[in-house]
Amino acid sequence: MGRYVIRRLLQFIPTVLGTLFLLHYLTSVGMQLTGNPVRALFGDKTPPKSTLDAITRALHLDDPCLKQPGNPCFNLFFQRIGVAKVNGHFDGYLQGNFGTDLHFRAVTEIVGDAMPFTLKITLIAFLVEAIVGILAGVLAGTRSGGFMDYFVKISTVLVISVPVFVLGLLIQEYVGVQFGNWLRGMSWVPEWISRGMFGAAYKRDYPFASLMLPGVVLGLLGLATTARLTRTSVQENLRADFVRTARAKGLTTKRVIGVHTLRNSLIPVVTNLGLSLAVYLTGAIVTEGIFNVPGIGNKIGRAIFQGESVVLIGITTMLVLAYLSITLLVDLLYAVLDPRIRYE
Amino acid sequence: MRGKSLKAAVATAAVALIAAGCTSTPEPETPSDTGGELRIYASEPASLFPPMADDNPSIVVIRQIYKGLVEYDTKGAPVNVIADSITSSDNKVWTIKLKSGFKFTNDEPVTADSFINAWNFTAYGPNAATNSYFLSNIGGYDALQSKDPDGDGPKTAPEPAAKTLSGLKKIDDTTFEVTLTKAFSGFPAQVGYSGYFPVAKACLDDVKACTEKPIGNGAYKIEGSWEHNVQVKLSRNDAYTASKGKADTLVFKIYDKQETGYADFKAGELDIFEAVPSAEVKAAMAQYGERFFQKPSNNFTYVGLPLYDARFQDKKIRQALSLAIDRQAIIDAVFDGRFSAAQGVVSPNFLGYRDGACANCKYDPVKAKSLLDEAGGWKGGKIVLWANAGAGHEKWMQAVGDGWKKDLGIDYELNTSLQFPEYLAKGDQKKFDGPFRLGWGPDYPWFETYLAPLYGTGGSSNNSGYTNPAFDQLVEQGNGAKTQDEGIKFYQQAEDVIVDDLPVIPMWFGKVSDVYSENVKTFVFNPISGVEYDKVVLNPAK
Repeated sequence: MGRYVIRRLLQFIPTVLGTLFLLHYLTSVGMQLTGNPVRALFGDKTPPKSTLDAITRALHLDDPCLKQPGNPCFNLFFQRIGVAKVNGHFDGYLQGNFGTDLHFRAVTEIVGDAMPFTLKITLIAFLVEAIVGILAGVLAGTRSGGFMDYFVKISTVLVISVPVFVLGLLIQEYVGVQFGNWLRGMSWVPEWISRGMFGAAYKRDYPFASLMLPGVVLGLLGLATTARLTRTSVQENLRADFVRTARAKGLTTKRVIGVHTLRNSLIPVVTNLGLSLAVYLTGAIVTEGIFNVPGIGNKIGRAIFQGESVVLIGITTMLVLAYLSITLLVDLLYAVLDPRIRYE
Repeated sequence: MRGKSLKAAVATAAVALIAAGCTSTPEPETPSDTGGELRIYASEPASLFPPMADDNPSIVVIRQIYKGLVEYDTKGAPVNVIADSITSSDNKVWTIKLKSGFKFTNDEPVTADSFINAWNFTAYGPNAATNSYFLSNIGGYDALQSKDPDGDGPKTAPEPAAKTLSGLKKIDDTTFEVTLTKAFSGFPAQVGYSGYFPVAKACLDDVKACTEKPIGNGAYKIEGSWEHNVQVKLSRNDAYTASKGKADTLVFKIYDKQETGYADFKAGELDIFEAVPSAEVKAAMAQYGERFFQKPSNNFTYVGLPLYDARFQDKKIRQALSLAIDRQAIIDAVFDGRFSAAQGVVSPNFLGYRDGACANCKYDPVKAKSLLDEAGGWKGGKIVLWANAGAGHEKWMQAVGDGWKKDLGIDYELNTSLQFPEYLAKGDQKKFDGPFRLGWGPDYPWFETYLAPLYGTGGSSNNSGYTNPAFDQLVEQGNGAKTQDEGIKFYQQAEDVIVDDLPVIPMWFGKVSDVYSENVKTFVFNPISGVEYDKVVLNPAK
């Protein structure tokens, strides 16, 4: 087990370096093709060359390679990682410097600000997906061909076929604004429900309640897959030999389903849930944007829109690390669920 | 909860107003005029440090925290605030006297040094301040900039020759002297721009800390610190001696998307919402009635013509192109009437604005055709119309092209392939091979700001490459004029030159579309600096 973990951790290095270089290359080409992002700060007004140059220089965007389309800018890449000198000293990721945005704010600070929101919204989404998804899947799986089965099947198709931004906007307008306004008209409804849970956007005063709606929207992303997967898996396992044996031994239905069936059925579901965590990060770009949650997704969306390549690379690198750790964790969880799996 | 107390509040306010109307004695400020929390829609500022902030979201907040030498009245004339007087005999050497008694929130007094140090910091090239170029007309600016050694490389740039502007001279603690490189009558108006605000010494020692937690000298001070992407909360600064803020607290709630902010306004979370999303304007007008506020803004949109291209050098052709655009029809069809068609090149809010100044900006297809024939017809083939990608300019640019095709028989093609930075760089380098969309907004209310940068020889944003000694001369005469009225006469003549020569085709000025909630009793709007949040009065909450 220990050796397996170490081996997996060593695999991180080439993966992260590869990702980093790819991102670096793509954003460099982006800049080579679309021009100096500093120029756009001034909009339609033309700043004098001296001002433009001074800011470009201060942001380390003055390397001539950024003007040569196709140039991979190796030197910049090494500087960014922290193995090549900038102005006579090393200053890159290895030294803990992830760069700054166009307004000189450190990327680490930006991530530090945004991370708590994303963690909260991810937790809510994960709980929604895991609890509702597995419950619906088990209900559908154990009542194959019954009402519950059809209900779950149809509703999951509905959820999966509506794009997340449409879903988000609809929920915002009808649940957050209109239903919310009706609730707010009732004097007996406590404020944390009427303003907190049912609102159009994240509110500082209700750090958890106001994340419920966006969290649910985000959770819905993976809910359908989880429910479907659980349903199929449960159905299969119900027909398996060990379940028949358990039943023959005279165990209660509760124990047969809750322990014997579910535990085995959950193996593919856990993988899916783990990967959902990564899907949330992409879904969060849309969901956090709609509900104004000042989290990582929001930041990435804005960085893309404003051509903040340094921010984009910095955040994505951290996300890749998080993603790799999650997949490692999922792999390790296998062994807990399925004793047949050994890591040697 | 809020809704119920509101009705009562509105009723009380109405009664109070009627009562006030009956008594003829001037009333002192009633207690109900102050108090409450004003919740304002905002976008994430770029910075809260005046030298580094040149975007609207930043300036709106900075104006509450800091106070400059002057403010603007509703007509755009500068009114002294921190300044006691700003005088000059030749518009070149300006003497600024300060009132005493103003203090930063760390108890540091606002002195001549607060201005001189701030301006030196801003101008010093290596500080990379976004507002640096605003100081370029102060003597010695060039010596504070460093030149790239190889013109284009990552090599360390040399230290600039000087650290302080030679054009700034301290006389005593409350007096300083500014020497400009060229006479400029608009200087007193210019210093009202937030890039000229004073900065505490403690701020210059630790810029980062001061960006997150500004040490201001204005009507409001920051509570806690700037919560990025969440909010900036300000409370009334009781040490501020001039006109105090009305609301107890101002909360600038930060939204990433206008649509989300508007949804939150509808959900009762905001009191003032600026710039209603275009798709919602009609519904908002119907729903909010008097609480929907619309006024012309100063944002100017134009179609620049590349005068460096031989095909656009004949004035008659430019006039024909302008006359063949039905601006109002485009505004109505594409923008729901949310703009006002340009009648000149200067904002309708500015002193010296004249209705119908531009005879060539009316829609007159017959005259357009005859002018084109006089010029010998169009021989340039297809016109390429340029706009930057992804900013929603396609529709109206297409309408412009369609007009030319219909009325003048000139075929066109749209090019919206370039991203903003690349598009702007192409304009800077004068490489457009056809008309291009650009815009302009003033930073201070002076007629000249709509003229010199855009059309002056070597003007900073003169992307059409226009040059006309007669025009330059008139602007210079305006800059050197003894009084503002005298100056405006010259500026107006300069505008006449432009609307006849048409180096750019004026399109329209924007319109402000704001809504405010029932919590707001008095909404105060300044056509130059926007909503005056410190003067907005709230209804008393229960």
